[in-house]
Parts: sequence; structure tokens; C-alpha cells
Amino acid sequence: MGRARKIVSGIAIAAVLGGGAYWLTRPRIIDPAKIASAESDVALSEFPERVLFGDTHLHTDNSIDAFGFGARLGPEDALKFARGDEVTSTTGVKAQLSRPLDFLVIADHSDGLGVTRRLYDAPRFAIRDKTLRRWRDMMHESPQQSVRATSELIAAAGAGTLPAAMLDPARRDESTAEIWGNQLKVLDRYYQPGKFTPIAGFEYTLQPDGNNLHRVVMFRDGIERTSKIRPYPGLVSNVDGLFDYMDGYERATGGRVLAIPHNSNLSNGLMFELTDAAGGPMTAEYARRRGAREPVVEATQIKGDSEAHPFLSPNDEFADFGKKGWEIGNLTLSFPKKNDMLAGEYLREALKRGLSIEQQTGVNPYKFGMIGSTDSHTALATGDEDNFFGKHTGNEPDKIRAIAPQNLGTRVGRMGWNYLAGGYAAVWARANTRAEIFDAMMRREVYATTGPRMVVRFFGGFEFSSETFKGDWVRAGYKTGVPMGGELVASGAKAPRFLVSALKDPEGAHLDRVQIIKGWVDASGTAQEKIYDVAWSDTAKRQPVNGKIPAVGDTVNRARAAYTNAIGAAELRSVWTDPDYTPGQRAFYYVRVLEIPTPRWPLFDAVRFGVKLSPEALADAVAQERAYSSPIWVGPAARNTADRKTGQRRLAGR
Amino acid sequence: MILPGWTREPLVHFLVAGAALFGLFAWQGEPADTASRTITITREDRARLAIEWERTMQRPPTDAELDDQVEHFLREEILYREALRLGLDRDDAVVRKRMANKMDFLAASMVESAPADDAVLRQWLARHRARFARDSSYSFDQRYFAQRGAANCASAERMERAGDAISLPASFENAPRNEVEARLGSAFMANLDRLAPDGKWAGPVQSGFGWHCVRLRQREAGQTPPLAAIRSEVEADWRSETEAQRRKQAYSLLRSAYKVKIAR
Repeated sequence: MGRARKIVSGIAIAAVLGGGAYWLTRPRIIDPAKIASAESDVALSEFPERVLFGDTHLHTDNSIDAFGFGARLGPEDALKFARGDEVTSTTGVKAQLSRPLDFLVIADHSDGLGVTRRLYDAPRFAIRDKTLRRWRDMMHESPQQSVRATSELIAAAGAGTLPAAMLDPARRDESTAEIWGNQLKVLDRYYQPGKFTPIAGFEYTLQPDGNNLHRVVMFRDGIERTSKIRPYPGLVSNVDGLFDYMDGYERATGGRVLAIPHNSNLSNGLMFELTDAAGGPMTAEYARRRGAREPVVEATQIKGDSEAHPFLSPNDEFADFGKKGWEIGNLTLSFPKKNDMLAGEYLREALKRGLSIEQQTGVNPYKFGMIGSTDSHTALATGDEDNFFGKHTGNEPDKIRAIAPQNLGTRVGRMGWNYLAGGYAAVWARANTRAEIFDAMMRREVYATTGPRMVVRFFGGFEFSSETFKGDWVRAGYKTGVPMGGELVASGAKAPRFLVSALKDPEGAHLDRVQIIKGWVDASGTAQEKIYDVAWSDTAKRQPVNGKIPAVGDTVNRARAAYTNAIGAAELRSVWTDPDYTPGQRAFYYVRVLEIPTPRWPLFDAVRFGVKLSPEALADAVAQERAYSSPIWVGPAARNTADRKTGQRRLAGR
Repeated sequence: MILPGWTREPLVHFLVAGAALFGLFAWQGEPADTASRTITITREDRARLAIEWERTMQRPPTDAELDDQVEHFLREEILYREALRLGLDRDDAVVRKRMANKMDFLAASMVESAPADDAVLRQWLARHRARFARDSSYSFDQRYFAQRGAANCASAERMERAGDAISLPASFENAPRNEVEARLGSAFMANLDRLAPDGKWAGPVQSGFGWHCVRLRQREAGQTPPLAAIRSEVEADWRSETEAQRRKQAYSLLRSAYKVKIAR
């Protein structure tokens, strides 16, 4: 009797499961009106009071390469982890962020969204394309082979030789629509206005010949608008196409969208060219479009740091951070790097190029702010040295990842320890909501950190006095100046003054120094730069020698991967006036904050797993983590009015 | 009328729905008989293919393009049926795994699609109150000292003007715990929790920045808001946990109908 009943209920269950496919309704959507009302309940401070930390660049198992590298955590796990819940990583390790993030942009590759998962799941006989079938077999063979297959796939995407079956628009659309739709619903479900903000986005993966021209595309809106479009594919387009797509979205839905270029260091000189996207002369129109669509650039992430390069800035003794391995070629290493490519790759140089182009066309295409992010492909947004969960699932924590070669494809040159632990985006918003975070990015009131949660304030103006810090200086900064990302219109001879404050991460290392980096174009039309040390620690022992501040020292115990805060300062501040100001000249100023030396993740790995690092890896296993603020631009009123939609703060001087 | 408890069991709903569907499909017959050699492409099928095309290309397909799409669809369907006829689905480990996955996930997707009614969520909230409790909030004043020796917290009257400069708020009013911890760090938070909310200067206590004299004026334990205020949060939690549970239940029921012998 019992057995018969079990069989009957078994059949019933099988029936419902079988029939379920027909019966399924769409996953529930949270009513947009409810979200809007929760958002409007969040109080806006008068000006940004507390900086928000987040990651604008996280991949989940919906990304073609992340899945291929083995990731099996999706958007929901990613959101749980970012807001502070414990999750189990793909490799079975329990993982929890000791400090939650304030926001997260899930940015899966738009090309082949979900494709590897479907390839993996597809019956072998159904795959007619030989290459696809081989990749599928490799993915099933072993995790190592799966990583290899994915590397081949990325190389093929870079070379434009992906099998046609993979680019089939009808199939692509079907799976993209489903994945995108479900993701948008999950984002809304985890949205807690005022506390945790999931943001819709995707990665536009343009990479002609393997040169990285990738952008993260990020939306301001919820599902009622974002569900009207699909992520825009990058493999068969150029950046003008992306801008058209963005224009189309805003026109059709009334929403807002921005793009964030990243890994310019792997573009072989193409990210910040002096020409337009097609190689023609830079026009005012192209410059305007670029500037309006790309208000923020990712300066630092796992695949290296793009702020500055020693070749371009020979007098900058801190420009070598995050260069090893990344400077040998483009993303897929299909072409080696030549020195004349570097100027189109590094942000400081791009900011200078922007000023030169503005002189010629009247518009600055490269007037961008800076953020950091992870670009993690594990669905885990880890940014710290002691919690690095790997670039992808193939190098989640294990004994060999720091010393193993980490090349895409089969070429040599990059090692595990070349990866940085990743950075975070710091956003000065008035509240933790989608709109406030997006708007702060549009006005560039943001900064990059290489992981530590330093609090950096930067204001420019003409009225600050040396006493300003004694009072309510943040209010003074907003009332009589502009914050980072803003513009000062200078009409008189008075030099601009800057308020800068850097507060250490409460859980992290002390600060070594605060620098202001100035770029300008001189009378002969040549772009120049100069680095000023404006505040530093241990001043009694550290006085300038030949204009340089002596190094702060090094407390790192290599055998234990530990440091002490016996050197450095908890906070560094300065009211600084440019001593070399030339009235009428256009210039930008941004802040770089350096921590005292601390262990990088390979050293933590070496101690944790008892691995011996190579001498080269060991030499790179201690570094000075840092923050880069968005610049403040100073100069005469612009000839062409920039796009007013950006809402940047602008202050006219006398 | 009061219904017996078992009628409220989701698993029972699941079985009843299953039986109903079973009946429905038995009566209707399979929508597409994969053993048949007749394939009918309806106008609806063509319309669906046209819409899919339009979504990508942002324009309707030409007749030739639509015919291409139909050919493509046909080709896939024919190969699929022939493969089934040859039994290719039976000796393929991936097909086996894929179908097993589908079974597994279907149980969960039912939960994904099922609307959660207020009664269920209210119960869920009641059962997991701690999970949904808001942060405790703190009202306090702090003065910062770079050196421990300089922090003489006993001389209360001098506190108003005491301390070294640092870019941290001197006072917090009803600040949620997560905010206090994000700004002042975990060491400070642990120390703050040890202080009595008596409105008297105490310390010095250590933080990642240095030392602080602290006057804790109020500490309020976090309340759990009513369902209406946090419905989507409760629903997400209920859904994600119920999904996992359903999958387990559905499997264990199927599993119990099998006699398994394992040779060792």
C-alpha cells in the first residue's frame, strides 16, 4: 500500500514537473511604484556627507568567460555577498565580506550572455560546429581544460574568428532576453533604498584585434525602463554604435545611462586616441559625445592600474604600481606593446590629451573622473589584499595561483601575482539610491581606491583661507568652491586654492602622503605635468631633499605578511595654492593618496599556503595602496558649452 | 469553515496542481508529438520568430529574412526529432545531466513564480524576526586623540574643546550601527558596545585612528519593522530559502519511491 501511494505521488510530481514548463509564469516583478516610494522615503543630506563604496564591474556565471572559467554563482549570490551575507563560492569555500558594500553593478558581458552555460549544457550531437564541439568537450573534461577553452574563446573573440553559430542573432536574442529580464527582477528584489543599491548594467566588450576597448554600461533606472532594451553587443560594432544605442535608450524611455571605459592599459594605445573612433580627425562633435557619455573611467582593477606609467612620467617614483605583466601587450597578448602606444592608455596622459584637444576643437573629450572596481569573474566583489578571491574561478584561493602562469590562450608572459586584488568605486552621493549614485558619477564626484576605504575630500576655489580647516570646512568647500569633478572658471590673476583631506581606512594602514598632480598645456602647445607633495606624515623626520620627500619606511614583515602603523598618519590635510599658476592657462588637478607599504595578496597567499614566491614576485609582494580623486579643471570659460546634462558643479572666479 | 492544516501545505498545492495538469495534458494530448513526421508552423510561430528578430535588429524582418528564420527553426526541430528517434538522448551523459537539472529546477521555479501572500510572509517574518531587525542605533559624542597619553577623559568640563583635529563627526544622532562601524571601524564599535549609555564621558577607547573619549547618550536596539515596510526584503528571503527546501522535498519524495541497491 505504502509503496503504491509513493508511486502515485511520484507520478504526480513527475507530471507537475513535466507540465511545469508550460505552466510557468514569469518571475514576480516588484511593483515599480513601491520602489519609487521607498526611494522617496530616503532622506537626502544637504550635501554628500558619507562616501559610498561599491563595485561597478562584477561578473557572474552569466558571463561567457566567467562560466567557462568555472564560476557557478549567479547575480543573486553576487548581491547577497556584496550586501554582507555569507555565500559558498564555486570552489566550495564559505565567503563573507567583513564590510558590506553600499552598491553593486552587475556587469556581465553582453556578447554571448549565457552562451557558455548553454554550450556546456548542450547535447554533444547537437553541436555541428567543430570548434564549438571541441570547446564543449574541453569544458566537460576538467576545470583546467575549461579554463583553456575559455581562453581560446576570448582569443577568438579578439581575433574576430568566433564560430558563426555563436553569433546567431535569433538564438542570442532569446537567451539574452531571458537572462536580462530575470536579472532585472532580482536587482529590484535586493534593492534597499538608503542601505544597499543594486544597479543594472552590462559590459560592452569591444576588442578589435584583442585591443581592449571595453566599457561598463550602467543604468540609472529600474525595470520599467531597463526591460525595454537589451544589452548591446560589442563584438560586431564600434563605440559610435554604443553611443547611438545609449542615445536611443534615453530617447525611447526617458531614462539615463553612462559608460565607463576600463583597462585602457590593455588597449595598445587605442582607448584615448587623438583621433575619432574611425581614425579620422577628432571633431568637436565626437569630443562632445565622448565627454558626455563617459564621465568616469576605471583607473584601477584586478588587471592592473591605469593611472600613470613610468615611461610617460619618469619623475613619478610611484607610477610603477600595477604595471608588471600588463605592460607587455594587449588583452589577449596578440600584439606586443610599444612605448608609443602608452600615451593612449594611461589616464594622466589622457587628461592631458583632453586639454590639447580642447585647444584645437573647443571641446575636451577626456574630462573624466576616476573610480576603481574589481572586474572579478567569481561573482564575489572582493577588493582587499587579504580577501582576494581571484580574477576568475580558475584562480580562487589555492596553493599555486600566485606563482602559476595566467595567460589567456597559450602564450607566455603573465603570472598569477601580476593580478592586483582589485579596487572599489567611492561615490560622494547625498543618499544611497540609484539616482543619487548615478548623478554623482555624472558630475564626477567620485574617486578610485585600490581597495582600502580611505575617505578623500577635495575642493577647489578662490576663497579658502589657511584657517578654513578650523571651521565647518566641508560646508565651506561646497558653498565657496567645487568638489572633485567640478570646474573652476578663472577670469582673474588669482591662483586657485585647494582643500584636501585624506582619512585612513579605519581597518587599514596609515597614510604616507597626499599629492596633487597638475597637468597643463604650455605656451608652446606641449602637455606638461607636475607632482606636488602637499601633506605627508612623520614631518619631523621627513624634510624635502632636492624637492623630494624621503620614503616613509616599511614595517612589513615578509615572513608573516604583517605590518604595523608605527609610521604614517591617520589623516593628512592641506590648504594648497598652486605656486606655479599661470592665469589664462587650462589645467587639471587631482589628488593621489598613498598608504604606507602593506602586503599584497601574493604575500598573504605565501604565508597562508606555505608557498615560496619567486624573487620577482616577492619584490612585488609589498606595495603602497592608493586613492585617486577625480580632477578639478581650472581655466577660462569654455568656448563651446559642454553638455549641460552632466550637472557638474562649476564655479566662476573673479 | 476551518480547513485542516494539510490543505495549507505548499507541497499539497504542488501535488494537486500536478494532478490537474496531468489530467489536462492527458486530455489535450501532447502539443507536439515528437514521433510524428508532420510539422506545422502556425502563424503564431512565424509571428514569434519575427518578433525575436525585430528585438535584435530594431526593425521587422523582410519576407526573405523571416523565411530564413523559419528554415532555421525547422532544421533544428527535424534534427531534434530524428535524434530522439535514434535514441541519441539516451546514451548522452550531458542530456541525462541536463534533464536531471531541469527536473531539479522546475520544483524551484514553481516557487519563483508563485506569488507570496501576506499571510505566508507575515508568518515568515514572525519566525525570523532577528533576521529582519533593523540596526541598533547610537547617539554619542566623541573626541579624538592621536596619542593615548593626551586623552584625559575624566575632565568632562574641558571636553567641549578638547581633542586633535580629525575628519570624523564629533556627534552622532541615532546613527545606525552599520554607519558607525563603517566610519569609525570595528575596534571602536566593539568598544562602544561596552560603554553604558549614561551620558558621561568615558574612555579613552581605541579605534583604527587612535584614541577617543566617548559620551554615549543613547543606544537603541533595532526594531523589526512591520511587513508592509519590508515586504520585498522578506519575500526575497522567503523565496530563496523556500526554493532550496522545495527542491529537497521534491527529490526526497521521488527518492522514497525507489528501491536502491548499492553493491559494496
